[in-house]
Amino acid sequence: MNTETLQHLQGAAAGQVHAKDTVISVSGLSPKALHFSRVFELLVVAAIIMLFAGAIHLHVLLLAGDWDMFLDWKDRQYWPLLTPVVMIMFPAALQAIFWTYFRLPIGATVGATCLMLAVSISRPASFMWWTDYPLNLVLPAQMIAGAIVLDVILLVFRNALFTAIFGGFAFAFLFYPSNYAIFAPFYVPVSHQGMMASMADMIGYVYPRSATPEYIRIIERGTLRTFGDSASWVSALFGGFICIFMHYAWWYLGIAMSSMKFLPNNAKVMALMGTKSDAKAGA
Amino acid sequence: MIHKAMKMFTLWLGLVVLAGVATESAWAHGERSQEPYLRTRTVQYYDVHYDKQTVKVNEEFTLVGKFRLMEDWPDAVSLPETVFLSAYSPGPMITRVESYLNGVPARQSFSKLELGRDYEFKLIMKGRIPGRHHIHPLLSIEGSGPLVGPGQWIEVTGSKADYVMPVTTLNGLKIDNIEFYGSARALKWYGVWIALAAFWLLFWLVRPLLLPRWMALQKGREDVLISTRDVTVGVILGVVVVAITFGGYIYANKEYPYVVPLQAGTNKVDPLPLPKNDVKVVVTKASYDVPGRAMYVTARMTNNGPEAVSILEFATANLRFVNLQAPGADKVISPDYPRDLVARGGMGLTDQKPLMPGETREIKFEASDAMWEVERLVSFLTDVDSKFGGLLFFVDKSGNRMMTEIGGPILPTFTAL
Repeated sequence: MNTETLQHLQGAAAGQVHAKDTVISVSGLSPKALHFSRVFELLVVAAIIMLFAGAIHLHVLLLAGDWDMFLDWKDRQYWPLLTPVVMIMFPAALQAIFWTYFRLPIGATVGATCLMLAVSISRPASFMWWTDYPLNLVLPAQMIAGAIVLDVILLVFRNALFTAIFGGFAFAFLFYPSNYAIFAPFYVPVSHQGMMASMADMIGYVYPRSATPEYIRIIERGTLRTFGDSASWVSALFGGFICIFMHYAWWYLGIAMSSMKFLPNNAKVMALMGTKSDAKAGA
Repeated sequence: MIHKAMKMFTLWLGLVVLAGVATESAWAHGERSQEPYLRTRTVQYYDVHYDKQTVKVNEEFTLVGKFRLMEDWPDAVSLPETVFLSAYSPGPMITRVESYLNGVPARQSFSKLELGRDYEFKLIMKGRIPGRHHIHPLLSIEGSGPLVGPGQWIEVTGSKADYVMPVTTLNGLKIDNIEFYGSARALKWYGVWIALAAFWLLFWLVRPLLLPRWMALQKGREDVLISTRDVTVGVILGVVVVAITFGGYIYANKEYPYVVPLQAGTNKVDPLPLPKNDVKVVVTKASYDVPGRAMYVTARMTNNGPEAVSILEFATANLRFVNLQAPGADKVISPDYPRDLVARGGMGLTDQKPLMPGETREIKFEASDAMWEVERLVSFLTDVDSKFGGLLFFVDKSGNRMMTEIGGPILPTFTAL
């Protein structure tokens, strides 16, 4: 049980809970202050959207890279394993910040939506309009399904550990089925030059990417194929297991990154900052 | 002040226009940026032909040729253990229809190509985006990167909107154009997920959001921040999300019962049979005259064949120096070969006499042209091993062509100060 929950129970026991209390009445803000508070909130929302859309997009580009970028990288094994593990990081940190300071169970959904917004701009702009690649070659995966469930689990359990265990697992486990409805048409088989290919392979082949030779794709290199055609579910389960730890780590990273630390204003620090030449002299 | 501002504005406008013009089409794509040892001592392209230089949108053209993987492969370059054949173009201005290496389909990569052997490639391409595009054959080598062949300008005419690439799947599904296949469906699904996310976010965002909630929390009043209704709505939304996820998965499985995994893995291909070569060439001395932009090579040549042979051509890094006095020299360069890669002055020889059967003679030839500079090939003088490589072609009086690989250390001759 965390500190905030304890405070709530103590407050309730002391008879401080009133049925007609609202957030506004409890906050004690005047109508004018509330107005400025709302304006401030709008500015913060705009800043969050721009900042985190860019940050999460960059993060996923760097760590999930081609698996999220290209259609012919979305294999049964690594795509459902690696992508959610990368994608849960920022949502977990945002969830921690929104929950700890505001009791808002929306952090993961904010992260997922920011990423969706960023890729909705970058994929058409960078690939379709600038370099003439077809949109279907660069369709991104979405993590909104997992993010909403992650937020709901936080709302229900109100606990970082349980959210990591159940929510982190669900986030990764839902990634594959929630994206399969989007990408299933690209796994239908075609015959090309006497060889079988999936439509995704075919689209990747037709549109040349000079600096992306076929051999750099990492497609099902491993022993998960011993599970036959169930490799995706095994990957999803394993991804869920990793996401438990990933969520927990990034939750506390989010807390750490949103906490302010102050240096004590003593003689040593002042000497370090150059405002006093000798710490001993000031002592 | 206003005058200065106007000047700055004009300068800014000029830069914007220049940037706009410069980005209208890619003039080149870095083929000259590769170091000379990569281009002269790894993959030597020859007999490269483009069957068309002007195509309409949807019209196919074929690019064929051969390449020799040089025996004297640089240590700094990974061996061709895994390679991929492709075309180098400024984006998908053209599309791939089919590709072959020694007649074997080249949709996937190949493994374990052999040094000192020749391979024949064929690329069938299709015009897609109107414009004038520089297209090269390309062999990508894992660990080393792309090694490009001679580039030719291909003019694509027509309208981009007319481009189609129809495909029929093994399930019998006819797709009119793979360019748009699956995109609308994906956008609809993204729409569903964004709508659900928007609902959840707006459900919280319309209420007092940050400051009032933070202040209430500081006062220990979590009870006013999350109500039973909030939890109920959240749980219902979670159930809906899970239902849509697995419902969509089951529906997609029913819609597409026969699916296959992505196809990967390398293929193997045998090299071409060893070509007939009756002439043994040993380079005894090679130098590069920096101010004269000329390579001089002295080699001891032995003709072990039954016919007298003449030196026909020296080729390296797609540059071609033809001995204009050799039999059939006028037909060596096909009309479709890029003219900017052919030395105008040809190849100079100290001795034009044919090499007789059984004869051994030391011959010096000169490959001189500004192309060395233009193609940025003189920096081989700064390589760690300062070596050159290339292909030397011979021809007998019957017009039979022979080819041998030459190479060795090279010495620079700098301008005397």
